[in-house]
Formats: sequence, C-alpha cells, structure tokens
Amino acid sequence: MQNCYLGIDVGSVSTNIVLMNDDKEILGKIYTKTQGRPIEAIQRGLKEIKKEVNEEIKVKGVGATGSGRNLASMIVGGDVVKNEITAHGIAALNFVDGVKTIIEIGGQDSKIILLRDGIISDFAMNTVCAAGTGSFLDRQAARMDIAIQDFGELALKSENAVRIAGRCAVFAESDMIHKQQLGHNQEDIIKGLCDALVRNFLNNLAKGKEILGPVVFQGGVAANAGIMKSFEEALGQEVFVPPHHEVMGAIGCCLLAKEHAVKNPQTNFKGFDIINSGYNVKGMECKDCSNLCEVIEILRDGTVMARWGDKCGKWNNALKSGVEKLA
Amino acid sequence: MTVKIGIPRGLWFYDYYPLWKTFYEELGAEVVLSNPTNKQILDTGVKNTVDEACLPVKIFHGHVFDLKDKVDYIFVPKMMSVYKREYICPKFCGLPEMVNHSIKDLPPLIDTEINFNKSRNSLKKTIYNFGSYVTKNPIKIKRAYEKALKEYEVYKSEIKEGSFPIDGQLNSKEKKQSDITIAVMGHSYNIYDKYGSMGLINKLKENGINIVTPEMMDYKVVNQHASTLEKKMFWSYGRKLLGTAMYLIEEKNIDGMVYLSSFGCGIDSIIVDLIERKARKKGRLPFLLITVDEHTGEAGVNTRLEAFTDMLEWRKRNEGNLSTHG
Repeated sequence: MQNCYLGIDVGSVSTNIVLMNDDKEILGKIYTKTQGRPIEAIQRGLKEIKKEVNEEIKVKGVGATGSGRNLASMIVGGDVVKNEITAHGIAALNFVDGVKTIIEIGGQDSKIILLRDGIISDFAMNTVCAAGTGSFLDRQAARMDIAIQDFGELALKSENAVRIAGRCAVFAESDMIHKQQLGHNQEDIIKGLCDALVRNFLNNLAKGKEILGPVVFQGGVAANAGIMKSFEEALGQEVFVPPHHEVMGAIGCCLLAKEHAVKNPQTNFKGFDIINSGYNVKGMECKDCSNLCEVIEILRDGTVMARWGDKCGKWNNALKSGVEKLA
Repeated sequence: MTVKIGIPRGLWFYDYYPLWKTFYEELGAEVVLSNPTNKQILDTGVKNTVDEACLPVKIFHGHVFDLKDKVDYIFVPKMMSVYKREYICPKFCGLPEMVNHSIKDLPPLIDTEINFNKSRNSLKKTIYNFGSYVTKNPIKIKRAYEKALKEYEVYKSEIKEGSFPIDGQLNSKEKKQSDITIAVMGHSYNIYDKYGSMGLINKLKENGINIVTPEMMDYKVVNQHASTLEKKMFWSYGRKLLGTAMYLIEEKNIDGMVYLSSFGCGIDSIIVDLIERKARKKGRLPFLLITVDEHTGEAGVNTRLEAFTDMLEWRKRNEGNLSTHG
C-alpha cells in the first residue's frame, strides 16, 4: 500500500486532481471541466482518479487551491488550503530546475511569478479584466467553430499574422470580425489573436519586471502551441511547457499537503466515499440587516455541512460544533 | 427646533468628519451620519449615479440617499481645493451638482464652495457660509470652528499613532505583532471603507500584519518628497500618496506595498504607475495592486492578499542568508 497525497485545484474553467506518492511521483492526474458545477466536478474527478490509480493507496494529506478551494476543502476534507500563486510556484520549483519566471494562464486569470534563489520574489495577477485568459479563447474558438484543441496548431500554420487589438476582449473580438469580413485567412487571424494576447500579457502583467530564463509556461492555456510560440517570439527566448502543465496547481497542493503531513500525520480526508454522497446547496439572502448577505448552505445527504457568505458570522456560528466552519 | 444635518459617510468623510461634526454640534445642530457602507447603500448608489463615475462616488450617492428623508440639510460641500495651487479631484469639484441632478426629492444641500487654490483669505468667509445654515452669529461660528479644529487635530494624531478610522470609527491601536509591515496605499475613502475595500485593512490585521497608511505620515515629510518630482503633482490626494510612497521606498522599513484603487480612477491611473515603477526600481519593493469596482466576489482579493503575504513571509525567512532587497 502506497502513501499518497491528494491535490485539488478547482478553477473557473477546469477542476484538476492529482495523486502523488512519497517520492513525488505522479500516480494519476485528472483534468475535467468545472462547467459551473464545482461539487459535481470534484466528485467526478475523484471517481476517475480512483479508477485510474489501480493500486491500494492511503491518502495521508489533502491540499486545495483555485478559486473554489474553500469549497473543495470542505467537500473532500482538506488539510491545506492555499492560493494559486503559492501552489504554482512550489510546483514549478520542484519540477523545473532553476526556474526563474512562471507564466500561468488559466480560465479567468493570468499571472506572472518571478522566482529568485528558490523563492517567490514577485508576482502579478490580472486585475478586473479577464481578457486573454482561457475562457476568452474558448469563446472565440466556439464562435469560429474550431475545437479548442486545434486552435494552437492553426496559429502555427499562419504565414502572415494580422494585427488584432489586445487591450480588451471586446475590441479584440470586433477586430477579429472585421478582419474576417475583409477575407483574411482564419489561421492568420488566430495567430494575430495569439500575438495580441501575449502583447497584452507582457504590457500589463510583466510591465517593469525582469523576465529571466528558464521561463516556464503553465496552466490550461499552455496547451495552446500558438500562444507558446508567440511568447517565444516576443521574449526572444525558449519557453518551457512542463509535462503536467495543466495540473501544476494541483501538484503544488500535493507538495504542500506532503509538507503539512510531516508535522500533522492526521488527515482530514473524508475518504473516497464522498463520490457517492448527494450534495445540495441552498442559497438565501439574509434580510436581518442592510448588508443583505448572500448566505450559502451546503448539505451532504441532507445534513448541513457548512454555511458561508455571512459577514457577521451568525449563520456560520449557528452550526453545531464539529461541523466544518469557514469564513 | 434643532436643525438636523446629515453627513454622508463617503469621500472626504474619512479625512474631515470630526471637524464638521463638532462644528455643527457646537452650533447646536443635530448631526446625523449615514449608515456605514452596506450592500443597500452600494446598490442605491449604483442605481442613482451617472454610469462613468468611480465606485467611491457611487457609494457617496448611496449615502446621500440613505440620509434623504431623515434630515433638514445634507452636507455636500463643493470641495475645489484645500491647498494652494492644488486640486482635489474633478469629481469632488462637481459633487453637489452631480448629487442634485441624480437624486430626486433631496432636502437642501449645504454646498458651500471650499476653494483655497489662490489663497486662504477666503477661509473666514467660507466658514461663515457653512455656519450660516444654523446661525447668523459670526462669533458663535468662529468659536465653533476653533473647537472643531481642535477635535480635528486630535483625530489626525490618533490616526498617526496607528488607529484607523474604519467606517469612521477609530479602531484600537494594536501593538506590533509580527515582523511584517505592509503599507496600505490608496485614497482614504477607499481604504477605510470596510465594505468598499472588502475589509482589506482588517484582513491584513487578522493575519497579524503591521499596517502603515498615508494618513500616518508627517505632512511635511510627504511634501518634501513629493516636491522632488520633475513636475508638480497638483492633485492633493495624488501628492499625498506619491510623497508617502517615495518616503517609504527610501526608508526601506516596510516589506511590501498594497495599493487599493477603484476602477476608472483618473488620478490613480498616473499615481499607481509612478509608484509601482519607483517601488521596483529603487527599493525592489514588492508591490500589489488591487482594483475594486461593484463586484462583491471577495475570492480574487483574498487570493491576491494571501499570495502576497505568503511571499513576504517567505522572503523574510530567507533574508537571513540572502539579500532580497538589492
């Protein structure tokens, strides 16, 4: 029986689960779409990974990250809950020798992380704007009726990229439509879009930052060969896409859970049985004061597991002790 | 019957409210504050403001709406300029007009103009105009103002010592708990508004982080640093922020800087960029920009803050062996 660590990354677009053993070997990884239903995605992911890993395992620790990390930790029973920056940084540090820059583009956010002397020394994340992230690419691919998997390959075929505005997704889209109606080739437009998104990334996030190699490109969008090529052209250096680029956040969680387990051998993991449980979510607007908090209640097989969303803590604290509490 | 004067909890409120509150109370008026910013205030604000305005201006409209049926007058001065050859912000200059045209059935506004752009000679007259809504007695007004100024000085010195006016309530000073100090930068009405800032200061404090804000700085020091710029920064808020940042970057006694900006702020579009460049160039100081707008999802803010503080702690632990401050 192997000791294992479970890493879960619940993002806006995908939910990723990784199972790692004591030797930092990846036993299994699952990349599944969140599709607006994170709880189902977690259950589905756990079910698949259980199937994929065909041996006896003992989960010693669970780590969660991503925008749905609190939810994931509550459902699965997490030991460590960490932000995506730290998780991605730790994963890259462990899997890519001497990495100095991480470019990460996910479903709704994009980030640049600078690592110096083995620690995170600076980072930036997109602010209110999600232009140039995975969900925008998804949308454009759907609009042009191209499978997202083929998007990058098409861009590589381009010989004469057209210029697309990259500052704003709305402008980018109208630019693309304009160029398409002029009769430009689809691959040239797609390559133009890749260039625009890279330009936008470098101007916004990487502004004023020293990008030193090795540069690692991870996150779901790293699967897009077109964007990767545009990055290489813009930076004038090689960009590495690690083998498990799409689940690096989850890998970071495994590593964090492993570190945590050294001091805390008792895990909160609720077992793989949760895949058979029925989850319900009830939402309501608390009208007791003018804050009008949106309170969420999560039930597992009819029992309340957690409540959150209230600013005053009234609903959260009303749960009897022993039930998971979250701010 | 006593006159009821409503003071909206927004914009200049965080800088000046003890001054005006004491002033009107000394004159015998009853001062009513609007409720601390909440969802309802934000929602009515958003509904009743021109679309292009920034979040704090929208919140201000919500506060005016909150006071609408409770008072005889609402205090919305036309703040043009409080220092020589400096301005506040274009939206402050037109605030009474904006409020008046956007919200219907308002009680009369106290919209006296404050304009010391050329000189302070008009101070006496300005004060009288403010007081005349309650009494026509100039001596009484003068005395009330003197008392108010004292209160204002006390308020300012409390903040200097580390007591922050969250929603206008000075919170207790806390002893230095951790060895990490972060400068929370931004316009006072953004960083001290608990709802609007998504509890930024409290979140950092809960993690045991020491906080420095521009309001804690010595105005002379700030001015001295701001005056080294090639061109005069004529926005008062911008000048204060820039001067503070330049001083902190030079002193090197903070570990990082978090700038809270509201989406679409014209002044911040310049200031944030200038500060970020200076922070990176001179001090290699970690800098985090947080932009707030009408969205209430706190996940984004929490992620960024957590990652930022994680990074600072990590850097601090490594400082023993490696210099990360260039």
